[in-house]
Amino acid sequence: MDHEFSFTLGPVIIGESLLTTWGIMGVITLIAWLSTRHLELLPSPMQTTVEGIVSAIDEAIRAVAPEHGRQIMPFIATLWLFLIIANLVGLIPGLDSPTRDLSVTSALAVLVFFSVHWFGVKTLGLKSYLHHYLTPSPILLPFHIISEFTRTLALAIRLFGNMMSLEMAAMLILLVAGFLAPIPILMLHIIEALVQAYIFGMLALIYLAGAMQSQQLNSQESL
Amino acid sequence: MEFNVSTFILEIINFLILIWILQRLFYKPLLETIAKRKQFIDQSLADAKIMQQQAEEQRSHYENRQKLWEQEKQAALTALHQQIEVERRAQMARLNVDLEQERQKINVTIQRQQRELQQQAEKQALLNGARFAGMLLKQSASPELEARLFAILLDNLKTLPEACTLCLQMLGTKKSVPIKITSAYPLTAELRLQLEQKLGLLINSPINFQYHQDAELIAGLRMDIGAWVLNANLQHELMGFAEIADGSE
Repeated sequence: MDHEFSFTLGPVIIGESLLTTWGIMGVITLIAWLSTRHLELLPSPMQTTVEGIVSAIDEAIRAVAPEHGRQIMPFIATLWLFLIIANLVGLIPGLDSPTRDLSVTSALAVLVFFSVHWFGVKTLGLKSYLHHYLTPSPILLPFHIISEFTRTLALAIRLFGNMMSLEMAAMLILLVAGFLAPIPILMLHIIEALVQAYIFGMLALIYLAGAMQSQQLNSQESL
Repeated sequence: MEFNVSTFILEIINFLILIWILQRLFYKPLLETIAKRKQFIDQSLADAKIMQQQAEEQRSHYENRQKLWEQEKQAALTALHQQIEVERRAQMARLNVDLEQERQKINVTIQRQQRELQQQAEKQALLNGARFAGMLLKQSASPELEARLFAILLDNLKTLPEACTLCLQMLGTKKSVPIKITSAYPLTAELRLQLEQKLGLLINSPINFQYHQDAELIAGLRMDIGAWVLNANLQHELMGFAEIADGSE
C-alpha cells in the first residue's frame, strides 16, 4: 500500500485505484460488447450465460421493487457487476481491489445517496418525496436526515473496511503462515468479495426502493 | 487510507459512464432480446392455444358428426333389420304356402299312387283269381257240369226280364231267325230239342238253329240270337273277373 503507483495529470492525481477501475470498466465493456454482438432468439451458451446473469439481477430487483425495477435496474446491476469484479481483482497478483480505497467506496456511496433522492423525486415528485421525511411524525425529521448521511457513510466505510481488512489480514497470514495458508485465504477472499458486493448492492436497492415506494406505502396505509 | 478528491470525483464519473455504457451495450439489448423471446414464446403459446382451441373445436365437430353418423347408421340398421324381418316373414309365408301346396300335391300323388297300387293289386288279384278259377274250372269241367248249366239256362229262360222277352218277340217279325248255339261239349239231341222247344215258345217266327262246339267255353252254352247274346258258360263268367278288373281302373 505504501508502494501505490500514481501519477498526476495537471491537478488530477491518477492513482492505482483509478487505473484499476478503468481496467475493470474496460473488461466489463469488452465482455458486454462481445456477449451482445450477435444476439439471437435461439441463444448461444455465452448469450445464455449473460442472459441468465441479467435475468437473475432483474428478478432480484423486481422482488424488492416490483413497480420500479426496470427504472433502477441499470444502476443496481452495474453496482453489483462492478463490485464483484472490483472485489475479486485483488486475487490477481500485483493488483489491488479498488474497493479497498475509501475514495472509491465513498464515491459509490455518494452515488447511492444522490440516486436515492433522484429516483425518489423523479417517482413521487419533490413535495411528496420530501413529505416522507415528516412521516410518521415531523419529530422524526432530524433522525431521517441523520439516517440519510449515516447510512451513506456506513455504506462507504463497510465496504472499504471489509475489503481493506481482508487484504491486510490475508497479507499478514501469508507472511506468518507461509505457503499452506493462501488457499483458504483465497477462498475466504472470494466469499467475502461476493458477500460485500451483494450487501452493498442490496442495501442500495433497499434504499432506492424505500425512497420510491415510501410515499405509496404511506398512502396505502392511510387508506 | 487517504481520501483523494480527484479519485473520488473521477470514480463517480467513471461509474456513471459505466452505467451508460452497460445500459447501451448490455442491459438494453439483452432485455430487448429477452422481451422479444418472451413475446415470441407468448405468441407461440397463443398460437398454440388458438390451434389447440381450433383442434378442440374440430374434434368436437367431428365427434358430433361421428355421433350423427352413428345415429344414422343405427337408424339405417334398424330400418334394414325391420325390412329384413318383414321380407323374411313374407318369404316365410310364401314358403309355407308353397310347402303346403307341395305337401298337398305330394299327398294327392301318394294317394293316387296308393290308389293305383291298390287297383293294380285288386286287378292282379282278380286276374289271379280268374286264372286260378279258370284252371280249377277247366280241371273240373265235364258234360255233367255243362248239363247242369244247361238246366240253369232253361230256368233262366223261364224267368227272363220283360224287356228281354219283348226283344225276342220283336225278332219274330222276321222270316227266319238264325240262332247260333255254341257249346263246350256236343249237345245231345234231347237237350237240343228241349232248347228248341223253349226258344220256340219265346220266338214266334221260325228258327234256324246252328250248333257249334267251342272248348274255350269250358262248360255251358252261348246263344247268339241276332244282336242278342245269351251266355251260360264258365268262360263268360270268368271273363266277368277281367271286366271287373278293367272296370276298376
